[in-house]
Amino acid sequence: MATPPAATATNSAPTPPKPPYKAPPFSQPPSTAGAGKTETPAASTSTAAAAVVAAVAATGAAAEEPSYIITVPSYSAWFSYDSVSDTERRLMPEFFQGEAAAASGSRGPEAYKYYRDTLVKRFRVRPERRLTLTEARRGLIGDIGSVRRVFDFLEEWGLINYGVSLPGVKQGRDKREEPVAPQSSLPAGVSAPKKLCIGCRTVCGQAYFTCEKADITICCRCYVRANYRPGLTPADFKKVETSEDAKSDWTDKETLHLLEAVMQYGEDWKKISEHVGSRSEKDCIARLLRLPFGEQFMGPKEDKMQFETDDDITDESRAEISKRVRLTPLADASNPIMAQVAFLSAIVGSDVATAAAQAAISAQSQVDETNDSPADSSIGSPKEEESCYTNGFSANDLLKEASANARVQLEKERKDIEQSLSDIVDVQMKEIQAKICRFEQKELLMEKERQQLHYLQKLLFADQLAVVQHQCRPHAVTAENEADENPKPVLTS
Amino acid sequence: KFRMPTRDNLVPIRVDVEVDGQRYRDAFTWNPRDPDSEIISFAKRTAKDLKLPASFVPQMLQSIQGQLAEFRSYEGQEMQIKEKIMPLKIDLRVNNTLVRDQFLWDIGNLDSDPEEFARTLCDDLNITDPEVGPAIAVSIREQLYEIASQSVSAMREAKVSKKRRAPEFASNSKAMNNAVDMFKYFGSKGSVIRKRKEWYLYAPVVDVVPNEEVVVVDTTE
Repeated sequence: MATPPAATATNSAPTPPKPPYKAPPFSQPPSTAGAGKTETPAASTSTAAAAVVAAVAATGAAAEEPSYIITVPSYSAWFSYDSVSDTERRLMPEFFQGEAAAASGSRGPEAYKYYRDTLVKRFRVRPERRLTLTEARRGLIGDIGSVRRVFDFLEEWGLINYGVSLPGVKQGRDKREEPVAPQSSLPAGVSAPKKLCIGCRTVCGQAYFTCEKADITICCRCYVRANYRPGLTPADFKKVETSEDAKSDWTDKETLHLLEAVMQYGEDWKKISEHVGSRSEKDCIARLLRLPFGEQFMGPKEDKMQFETDDDITDESRAEISKRVRLTPLADASNPIMAQVAFLSAIVGSDVATAAAQAAISAQSQVDETNDSPADSSIGSPKEEESCYTNGFSANDLLKEASANARVQLEKERKDIEQSLSDIVDVQMKEIQAKICRFEQKELLMEKERQQLHYLQKLLFADQLAVVQHQCRPHAVTAENEADENPKPVLTS
Repeated sequence: KFRMPTRDNLVPIRVDVEVDGQRYRDAFTWNPRDPDSEIISFAKRTAKDLKLPASFVPQMLQSIQGQLAEFRSYEGQEMQIKEKIMPLKIDLRVNNTLVRDQFLWDIGNLDSDPEEFARTLCDDLNITDPEVGPAIAVSIREQLYEIASQSVSAMREAKVSKKRRAPEFASNSKAMNNAVDMFKYFGSKGSVIRKRKEWYLYAPVVDVVPNEEVVVVDTTE
């Protein structure tokens, strides 16, 4: 969360072909991140940054400013207002093939572009709202059948009604079954699911803790700092994720889809989120973790760490995942604290966590004589801090390992890239050399032709001279003229 | 030989269904080559999008299918369209916009395109409401459909009464009495350019009506 401006920049970079969208200005603190949600292009952009920006955008949209994020699934990245891509030509042949190809007006490519541009523009004016076919075709001049086909095509490819669903409606793909209320509250997501921490009176971000005994809600920081009234133990608090609950509950069907997708695609979160439907990758991952056996699937995940440093939350969530995997086998007895530590390090970022762990280690060595009990769910705060240190130590270790791993893989990638670059350069050079050879041959041929032409020129000149001379002596033998005639046909043939 | 005298053989369809006090009125263009299953799914989808009760669907279906059947009944028959220029009229109100216009249309041009005409008209007159365009296109198509179907029935009458020529002329002129006499315009004394005093007849009129009047007009309808 530390670099929101950088995140916007990267957000706009991978999405150049969508001119009507502008990155909104940052006027709100990032702590509102939890509320709004959009699905992001699976390619590279940071989910956290997008979520933050979308939250701002949601409020911005409420304030009737045209500044919002329009997200388009990565499988539709070919879309551009200026032209019709090959994908469209291939999938909508009625407009592009046969007699329609040359037609204008209601039949040809122009008609398709007109329908498509109008539909997309109309949707993007109110991207939270589902554009129905009836509403759209009322503003379109053309026959219903064609309009409906273009509409269905655009909807299927996520250029229209992406991330929006009509409550209780079965869509073309039966994968979505979202309950009404949470979805409709999404665009105005700023209001309802906000939790104020009793301890510090700030808005709780992604998660908060509730205590049943005292009916208190505190944010993560207050929980760690034990910023609640005495008499309550950390065990009394239960962690609640705002992002998860505020949006929608995972129905059984979605969970089933998620599991299927994981079995099928393994680690490919992009595909998994597609398969599940309207869940972003982060949601899928989070949900998977929450499932009782989720960690089994997350095992091999540690090997594939991503290196996008601008990708804070994704990094953190993944780091969190790998940390969880590693931490849980270590300390089953002190689960809440483990979770707490992992959670903490996720919140603050890997750098800060490393620094904190370092400090913890040094402090721990001082405390070591007095207390040597490892992670144990304890009541008093010094013990709590200490178990923090112990766990911090192991966390630090694991972090180091993870970062070394990451570096190695980075190096490998770089080498691969260099290799392929040099291959490409080789191929290009060969191409150029072949071209040069061909050109040289052509030049030779040209030279020869030129010489021939010169020669012919000379002959012609000689003949002309002869003719003129003979003309000067008109009484000269006509036979000579005839003799002159002969060379000419030879020349011209 | 019967077909809509436009480039695309599309049928204008008007639906006006009333169920339990709720009224659904619509007009759109349909491609008669689309399969009938499309009609059913279209009706269902429209009812769902407009949140109409399911009881609307059978009536809508009936209406649409009836109009399509009528169109298809004309299809095998002979139609004679000579080169005639007919005046067409637009006089409609869509939401807040009133459009009144009159223009000459070449019926014999089988490449004409009412949709393009409607698009251009809306663009040129800066009509902001996107629903006006389709309404204009449908209105033009309806008039052309009317002309085409009348010519079919005229041909039928002509065939029946081959021996009697006078009634043939009479029925023809009854249908086509609006046709403009080309000779008058393009003869030796006429010119292609419209006389200035007639300009007002052919200028389109677009009015944007405030909401109160719209409510009044709706209730009177």
